[in-house]
Amino acid sequence: MAKKRVMVVGGGLAGLAATMKLAELGVEVDLMSLTPVKRSHSVCAQGGINSCNDQTRQLGDSEWKHFDDTVYGGDFLQHQPPVKEMAYWAPKVIDLMDRLGVTFNRTQEGFIDRRRFGGTLYKRTAFSGATTGQQLLYALDEQVRRWESDGLVKKYEFWDFLEPILDENGVCRGCVAQDLVSMEIRSFPADAVVLATGGCGLIYGRSTMSMVCSGSAVSRCFQAGAKYGNGEFIQVHPTAIPGADKLRLMSESARGEGGRVWVPRTPQDARDPLSVPESERYYFLEERYPEYGNLVPRDIATREIFDICVNEGLSVEPGRQCVYLDLTHIDATELSRKLGGILEIYEKFQGVDPRFTPMKIFPAVHYSMGGLWADYERTAEGGLQLGSPQNQITNIPGLYAIGECDYQYHGGNRLGANSLLSCIFSGLIVAPGIHNMFSAESGGAAVELPSALFTGAQKKNQEVHDALLRRDAGNENPYLIHQQLGDVMTKAATVVRRNDQLESAVETANELHERAKKCSLSDTGNWTNQNVVFTKALLDMFPIAKTILKGALQRDECRGAHYKPDFARTSLTAQDAAGRQTQAEAWCDEFEKNNEKWLKSTIASWNGDQPEITYEDVDVSIIPPRPRLYGLAGAEVIEEVWNQRQSKKNELASGNGATTSAEEATATK
Amino acid sequence: MKGSSVATNESSSFLIRHEFLIRRLHSLSGLIPVGAYMVIHLMTNASVLNSPGTFQRAVYQIHSLGAALPVIEWGFIFLPILFHAIFGVVIIQGGLPNTSAYRYTSNTRYTLQRRTGVIAFFFIVFHVFHMHGWFHFEAWQTNIAEPLGGAMFRPYNAASSLAAAMAGFLYPVLYFIGLLACVYHLANGLWTMGITWGLWTTPAAQQRANWISIVFGVGLFAVSLGALVGAKTIDTKAALEVEDKMHDAKIESAELTAEETKHKRATNEERASWLDSANSTESAGRDEVSRSPKSNAAQ
Amino acid sequence: MTDIMQNANPLPEEFKVKVLRQDGPGQNTYWEHHRVDYEQDMNVISVLQRIAAQSETIEGKSVAPVAWDCNCLEEVCGACTMVINGRTRQSCTALVDRLLEEDPEVIELQPMRKFPVLRDLVVDRSRLFRSLQKTKCWVPVDGYYDMGAGQRQSRPEQEEAYPLSQCMSCGCCLDACPQFTKVELERQDGESETAFQARKEAEYDKNFVGAHAISQVMLFNANPTGKNNANERVDALMKEGGIQVCGNAQNCVAVCPKEIPLTTSIARAGRATTVRAIKKWFDR
Repeated sequence: MAKKRVMVVGGGLAGLAATMKLAELGVEVDLMSLTPVKRSHSVCAQGGINSCNDQTRQLGDSEWKHFDDTVYGGDFLQHQPPVKEMAYWAPKVIDLMDRLGVTFNRTQEGFIDRRRFGGTLYKRTAFSGATTGQQLLYALDEQVRRWESDGLVKKYEFWDFLEPILDENGVCRGCVAQDLVSMEIRSFPADAVVLATGGCGLIYGRSTMSMVCSGSAVSRCFQAGAKYGNGEFIQVHPTAIPGADKLRLMSESARGEGGRVWVPRTPQDARDPLSVPESERYYFLEERYPEYGNLVPRDIATREIFDICVNEGLSVEPGRQCVYLDLTHIDATELSRKLGGILEIYEKFQGVDPRFTPMKIFPAVHYSMGGLWADYERTAEGGLQLGSPQNQITNIPGLYAIGECDYQYHGGNRLGANSLLSCIFSGLIVAPGIHNMFSAESGGAAVELPSALFTGAQKKNQEVHDALLRRDAGNENPYLIHQQLGDVMTKAATVVRRNDQLESAVETANELHERAKKCSLSDTGNWTNQNVVFTKALLDMFPIAKTILKGALQRDECRGAHYKPDFARTSLTAQDAAGRQTQAEAWCDEFEKNNEKWLKSTIASWNGDQPEITYEDVDVSIIPPRPRLYGLAGAEVIEEVWNQRQSKKNELASGNGATTSAEEATATK
Repeated sequence: MKGSSVATNESSSFLIRHEFLIRRLHSLSGLIPVGAYMVIHLMTNASVLNSPGTFQRAVYQIHSLGAALPVIEWGFIFLPILFHAIFGVVIIQGGLPNTSAYRYTSNTRYTLQRRTGVIAFFFIVFHVFHMHGWFHFEAWQTNIAEPLGGAMFRPYNAASSLAAAMAGFLYPVLYFIGLLACVYHLANGLWTMGITWGLWTTPAAQQRANWISIVFGVGLFAVSLGALVGAKTIDTKAALEVEDKMHDAKIESAELTAEETKHKRATNEERASWLDSANSTESAGRDEVSRSPKSNAAQ
Repeated sequence: MTDIMQNANPLPEEFKVKVLRQDGPGQNTYWEHHRVDYEQDMNVISVLQRIAAQSETIEGKSVAPVAWDCNCLEEVCGACTMVINGRTRQSCTALVDRLLEEDPEVIELQPMRKFPVLRDLVVDRSRLFRSLQKTKCWVPVDGYYDMGAGQRQSRPEQEEAYPLSQCMSCGCCLDACPQFTKVELERQDGESETAFQARKEAEYDKNFVGAHAISQVMLFNANPTGKNNANERVDALMKEGGIQVCGNAQNCVAVCPKEIPLTTSIARAGRATTVRAIKKWFDR
């Protein structure tokens, strides 16, 4: 009997973690990637990776608090068991990466150094200079190379995933892919396909994402019947360097190490920023959020920077929107040691040394919290049943999704330095599940199935490809359509969302989709034809783009990164205590009512032309949702009212002799 | 390169298997014995600056090895040079100098190291033929080497035969170029050798080593120039006199026999022609400062 | 200030780009000329994007877009390396303003010189990864179960290791190295993919591993766990195509975009191999 194999698509942190863990379990893996895996987008992650650690623990931190920060930061939109498991695994993940040779920065005594990141009050973030993602990826890449030389892993680099192959029962039995060099289209039988293809930033034209992050592989699974969750939740990173080809990330670690965001109080003050006196500087994050200061969660920082530039007109430059991110008060050697990598990027692209001149930054699309819907198996304690084949599986049996391309871990918004964690974690836990599934199933391997399934799929894709090359009508230019799509998406579905804009964006997206179908190619050859590959990716951007737009249009509330001013809850306005109390009560009523309606994951499925959206309840059984009150006037009163309500509920529950799972979970920690 | 991997694998397997060892021996041979020999050789020759007698004494010392001399010559000088040269050519063929695209100092030095290596090789081949004749059997020497202008050196008429060999304009120029190449090749080779063997590792250490190799190179080239100038300023007549005295003394003390020394001395015709040409250059009006035999005797 | 400078050196409205194209392996190369409208803050990536979008040469001939490789555009992935104005570098950090300072006439783009061209500016750099495999550049951990933290490491150790671990395998050091020469094989008739792959790897192994791999060996040999099989890595550097091929031209360190101290690594590896060779000789 032939051995069962796994096809891992995508060689970033998640894909590599899954591959190496599968190989360790003795499972043979085919690893497919658009680029050599070492060049995957994970290298762009700069700041670090979170975990509770010995030091923070003594300051009152715990895995539980990391879990709590994550769900609170995500506005409770994620199922809690996987998040809880992840937070409890985080220290182990860092230990593992340490053992694999990641050059984490060290304290004087030789322990792993930590920095503070957004959305938490603890120094949880381990980092390796300002290229943590790169360092983590390389460690995994090296391990996979080790397995490759042992013959357990076979890499297919420069291959484009075209389609999952489903048998008559709807079970995924492999995939079709195309060699980007020879343009050969081939079927790959596999007993499980793991998608680890990252985000879809290219839909926005320019973002902080890499050029391979088109979301095409995810879209192709979506179009084959996989569900897509929380599409509208797109994280816009507050600090990026504007550029003609790309918006380059300026890591949150710049603020974690003490960077301050400000604008001159005088609009478009022409003075050299260093000569603007302290009193004429507006440190708007520090003033508006005294507790978190410059390290408020990303959605809030983004919105504030946007607000300062767009609504208050305080942008530093007249023609372009940007604010100062200032590091000049910190010792230059210290900066080089901790942030060297990112400061060099700024210097290389802007020609200015940020150690001595404040940087100019503006928000940019950065991460998709949403992604393929994925399942998990819950334990009674509210964690994950490790080794369960249900973990990370999509609604298509045999098709798994991990890393940024699943929707599991970050809910409405992702905390900084949690993505590297979720990628490695989901990669590590998907492997034992697949291994167990292989041992439990009695059926034969996919490679032994009748070959018609695979030749048929190959043929179908070959025909599509050939037709695309032959097509001459239309004369639409795919690059221009992409640019237009990016503009529409950036305008309608980033920081601030309005229904009228979203409606017109949906229309435009539909039009552009029709036009994209008429793209003619300037290259009709059959050798390393990037033109046709791009055109295919462009066509596949539309289902996801439409899903993002429709999800955003329908979700009439504010949650995490999804901000609709028309539905924003207001601050308390009453001056007197009694009035404030009443308002706070009303505020909490409204909050609860809104949660009943909207504390639900958006689940999209594709009907061939448009996404169809349903809503799924979120497992919030471990930490009950509570209002996110960063920077709201009257936050203390609301919090008090809210806490009273919660304790009343708890009393009621314990009075009835029942224990809520929240308490149970608290008891176990 | 295409498709012939199997064939090359078989034919070059020994060299390929021992590539590391061979390259290291190549590196080492550049210093010991070739480099070290070169230094001694140049210093010996520069001693002619002092006096033809000093030079002659040094040559006697070398030739006191007697029958072992050819063995040493071949085993410690010629074969190592040949080894260094042949593998040097192999190494050169494995590289593609790109100084035009990358004008960095160290890259220029890399390219120069290869060019000077080639120049040095041709120079040494020429030089050994010119002075030594390559082989020492009679038929070769008299019928081939000497008629072609080679085998000019007479060990027991060291300075005078040297002066004769270096007569004219062409030879000194060739020697100047050759020596420059050799000295650069050795000094730069010393620096790269230290990196290859892991002696100096950091940029700072390499910079310090660089200074040392520059000082060494400049110093050695000064010695080379000394040897060259020395060779050009020999008073042939006076040198012959001293050489004869020294020779006669050796015979008298039975240190050497006339039979042994015969083929290492100039023939009468040679003496006559050297003196002739020396006179003609002098009579051409050059007022050269040549050392008198008296100062020789004083030593 | 900037106004004066702009007047002194007026910004061009457009500029010329010259690309060395090749339709596929083994095919002829040819230069193609394009004209691109000048915009502020352009880099070679955006130039190539414009060329792809207009797909027309300076002579008005319709052509297929130039193929090139890129990904992160932040100079951390290494993908977009090519020879720009004669020097190997990343196209994302090659800013048009600077290039026009080098040569106001034309920007010249060529594929990397030491790797087989797949098409236009896209090259096959698999040899570079093969070197990392040959030299066992990984930490030989027991497995991926939770075994607690790794060994403690001092700050100076980390500061030595970090620069080396920033190597993004872009291949600049190899492209500029006079001792690293191109290895290009053609698949023979009837040769299976696996056989061809094996033949390629065997050929790669015979040729120079390159500065990047030597430096990675020094990185892993300094790791507390990696030390355990340091000898295996050093031995790999002493095999054919090993460190002995280095000719000390030191271009590697000069062109490295990450300023990795490659020549220090090479000299240290030189020392390690010297010691290893002597030990092997006497311990035998």
